[in-house]
Amino acid sequence: MTQVDLPGFPRPVARPRELGLLLAMAGCLVLGSLSLGSTQAGGLALAQPAELAIYLGALAAMHLALVVAGRRVDEVLLPVVGLLGGIGLLLAERLPQDLVVQRVGPLTLGLASLQLIWLVLAFAVGAAAAIAVRSDRWLRLYKYTWAAFGLGLLLLTFVFGRDVNGSRLTLDVGPVSWQPSELLKVILVVFFAAYLAENRVQLADARVRVAGPLTLPPAPYLLPAALMLALALGIVVIQRDLGAALLFFSVFLCLFYLASGSKVDVVIGIVLFVAGFIVLALVFAHVRERVANWLDPWADPLGAGYQTIQALHAFARGGLLGTGLGAGLPMVDGHLPIPAVQTDFPLAALGEELGMAGVVAILACYLVVVARGLRIAAGAADDVRALLAAGLALVIGVQAIIIAGGNLKLIPLTGITLPFISYGGSSLLVNGLIVGLLLALSDRGPAPPAAPRRARRVRQDRS
Amino acid sequence: MDPLTLTLWVIRLAFLAALYAFLALVARAVLRDIRAASRDPAGALGRLVVVASARTPAVGSAFLLDAVATLGRDLGSSVVLEDSFASARHAVLTFRGRGWYVEDLGSTNGTLVNGEPVTGARSLGFGDEVQIGETRMRLERGIR
Repeated sequence: MTQVDLPGFPRPVARPRELGLLLAMAGCLVLGSLSLGSTQAGGLALAQPAELAIYLGALAAMHLALVVAGRRVDEVLLPVVGLLGGIGLLLAERLPQDLVVQRVGPLTLGLASLQLIWLVLAFAVGAAAAIAVRSDRWLRLYKYTWAAFGLGLLLLTFVFGRDVNGSRLTLDVGPVSWQPSELLKVILVVFFAAYLAENRVQLADARVRVAGPLTLPPAPYLLPAALMLALALGIVVIQRDLGAALLFFSVFLCLFYLASGSKVDVVIGIVLFVAGFIVLALVFAHVRERVANWLDPWADPLGAGYQTIQALHAFARGGLLGTGLGAGLPMVDGHLPIPAVQTDFPLAALGEELGMAGVVAILACYLVVVARGLRIAAGAADDVRALLAAGLALVIGVQAIIIAGGNLKLIPLTGITLPFISYGGSSLLVNGLIVGLLLALSDRGPAPPAAPRRARRVRQDRS
Repeated sequence: MDPLTLTLWVIRLAFLAALYAFLALVARAVLRDIRAASRDPAGALGRLVVVASARTPAVGSAFLLDAVATLGRDLGSSVVLEDSFASARHAVLTFRGRGWYVEDLGSTNGTLVNGEPVTGARSLGFGDEVQIGETRMRLERGIR
């Protein structure tokens, strides 16, 4: 049978590996839902089968959209991200629904319904980006426009933002509140990928000798690096957002290293950031509080240290295999033991109910996302695409490291989200966009023509 | 132990086991991909994709590059340019250890990289555009 190509329509490309992994992922989520539902109902039952069906349907729709679009893009990312999103949905179903309530007309939506809506929208954004983004030209040509747009967003938040938990991150637009710093991470990666790729030559060749073997890149490099450092430290001071500062600066250093291959510059960058942070900690009280709280949360167990201590208890209750979905987190005095568990501490909740085994599996999923991103970067046709793919994947990976480390009291706690799992519309939409861009960047172009078939020998029947 | 607790135990552990089974499948897919990439014959060091040209080579065609690639009107060049503004031996691309360099071979009309004229050996990044006469070519990574 020959395939008929409709004019204007691409030829569909089957994605068997993705389909297989998606089915395995669906199996996982059904078991998880069964575990949660049975614990809650006291007999064999699925938790919220309708929500699970809608979620799996959205993933199937994205798979179909990619098949129909006919681009040969990465087949591992979607199932892995789908599993993370599904675990996030299970967690949202398990937590009390009145943690977040939003009224839309006559409907009152609880935590899980809202999380499901955002997840579906995020996959729609991802699919649209994966199918529509064909060229990186408009990304690299307008890099200064992007940078200006990003800084404008940041300024808007500085001026008009609303303070939530002491950080000025949220911008209210009508009934919807969103966090521009989420979008800013994508914009910054786009800008630096384009900028570093364009000026890579000077970065590698023309180094300015400072003293002995110590050399520094020339001014066109130091300038954005200094700007980035100032921006990161400025975010700490004005926005009181340690997480975003740490995230932006570490991703910038990674991209800088990928573009220049110079370890010295990275070490200098880290030293400068740490020095700047120490100075800030000495000058500003809110930074000092965070650090003190990290070093010894037991100094103020019912106030500042409460969240961290409860999270550590949750991990301890979970042990190796966990208490099982729905069996942990007893209410204390009518409220949850960990405040802001759905946004800042989902890993602690999962650590309690799935144990260390579950947490390691979740962290392995982030590792796979980063590994695929770097693989896409290694196979990219030019430097902009390579830096873009590496940067986007690292945004997700570094973010997961920072918040996981904060939950486990390895580094000072910062209020950023655990990608794909935390509740939050801006975060989910932007992470969907990142996955879509990664898929678009992994396009391997049209399939090479099949090897010519040998002419079939015609058997002659002798009668 | 009552049957319900036992069932919950089994389902819970089955969920964890399923997570790891899924991860094993993912790891297999990733490893297979990496093996396939390393089994492929090592791709060329780079390729030149024609972005704009006077006549030949046609726009969109690509040349796989060896470590030394000469460009010009001369029929012995690695990339033959049928361009009246190109010299016979116009420029040479060389791969030196870590990256590509372009040198103008004293051509009449010069060589441009991203719109800037080349003097001496200029380092080329993947994605940079080399212009000779009316022909523009983009350096890309070799297929792997």
